[in-house]
Amino acid sequence: MNPMDTLRQNPARAMIEAGREVLGRPAYLLLAAATAIIVLAATLWLPNYRLIGAVFTTPGVALGIKLQLLASLVGGLASNFGAVAAVSTAVIPILFGVDVAMLVYFARQRRARLARGEIAASLGGAASGAIAAGCAACGSFLLLPILSFLGAAGALALLPLGGAELGLVSIALLLLSIYLIARKIATPPVCALPPAPATHQPTTRNTP
Amino acid sequence: MSRKHESENPRGWCARDDLWSPVFIIAAAMLALAMPAWAQEEMAGIVEPVSARDHLRGARAAPVKLIEFGDTECPLCKRFHPTLKRIVDEYPGKVAWVFRHFPIVEIHPKAPKEAEATECAAELGGETVFWTYLDRLYEITPSNDRLDPAELPRIAQHVGLARAPFEQCLKSGRHAARIAADVVDALAAGAPGTPYSVIVAPNGKTYEVVGNQPYETLRLVIDIALKQK
Repeated sequence: MNPMDTLRQNPARAMIEAGREVLGRPAYLLLAAATAIIVLAATLWLPNYRLIGAVFTTPGVALGIKLQLLASLVGGLASNFGAVAAVSTAVIPILFGVDVAMLVYFARQRRARLARGEIAASLGGAASGAIAAGCAACGSFLLLPILSFLGAAGALALLPLGGAELGLVSIALLLLSIYLIARKIATPPVCALPPAPATHQPTTRNTP
Repeated sequence: MSRKHESENPRGWCARDDLWSPVFIIAAAMLALAMPAWAQEEMAGIVEPVSARDHLRGARAAPVKLIEFGDTECPLCKRFHPTLKRIVDEYPGKVAWVFRHFPIVEIHPKAPKEAEATECAAELGGETVFWTYLDRLYEITPSNDRLDPAELPRIAQHVGLARAPFEQCLKSGRHAARIAADVVDALAAGAPGTPYSVIVAPNGKTYEVVGNQPYETLRLVIDIALKQK
């Protein structure tokens, strides 16, 4: 079956197949994993970078204690977020890692420019994910300043999940970006043939 | 396939250097999004020293002070409250917990009045009643601005205060200035939200903790702070 037909009939299957094609290569798997780990670590550590800096510059603190601090801050995933936000905080870095690996794979393999759609969806997913992850403290980081700037801070109170909806939006945008790039990867790297001109079908005749 | 043909490819071909542009764009966007956090460092100052006006749980002479800036309608502060109780219980005479108000009015419009209610409890019942009122408030509030204001005098009665003087105090708004002063202190200290805690070591070194961080994180930082003579 033509890969494009597969994509049209079952986008999820095509995304998985494109993901396998990319992540089956160790370099891209490493890129996806490294990106995911960096994004997750940034999500959990960035709000407390001043604490990390203060502890790491305190004389006489053993390296083991410093590493314990970093590990303990990962526990903030459970203590700082509700169920929906915690799941999206964990899922967004993974999707972003896969997305980046697929974007790089496509760009390098095909040496082609990416369309604005893929980049916009990827950026939107990353941006909304970063904003959503900002709620390690109430009103902190990005969400409140942005909403205050837009004059919509009060709208947060109206959201049933208190802002965790942004994480779901981020997941949706990253999935859209992955879908768009999977579609590109599934397209055979050939110059498309022009549509065949209409021709008269030869009639088959039983010849004696 | 000739280069001419490639350049005519409707998808478009590009120089190898351009291939990384999506990654650079994404990285730049993420950095730009993180800028407000770094920008706040410029605003960070020194938290007001602990004084007699502060509400303090634990020994006043404790070598380590943990100053919490809290919002009574913040769900993370509600979950952080038992962690701090546990810290004070497990470090008797070593850690004192100071509570300062940081109601985030943009998302919790009811929080400033609740902060005033805790101050009325302190005025009418003293330091111990302030803390029992605050404990009870955090215990019953559903958070995110969903506490019925009618509960405030009921909490006062629950902690042993007379309803009428409490209501009169709350109506007067005489503690609003103190709440505003605490907010100014929080902003000057660089608090990005609530809960925001500053752990002050005996030698004056400070450790800022943003959010409802686990007990293990606080324990590690307090142990480090206790050694800073």
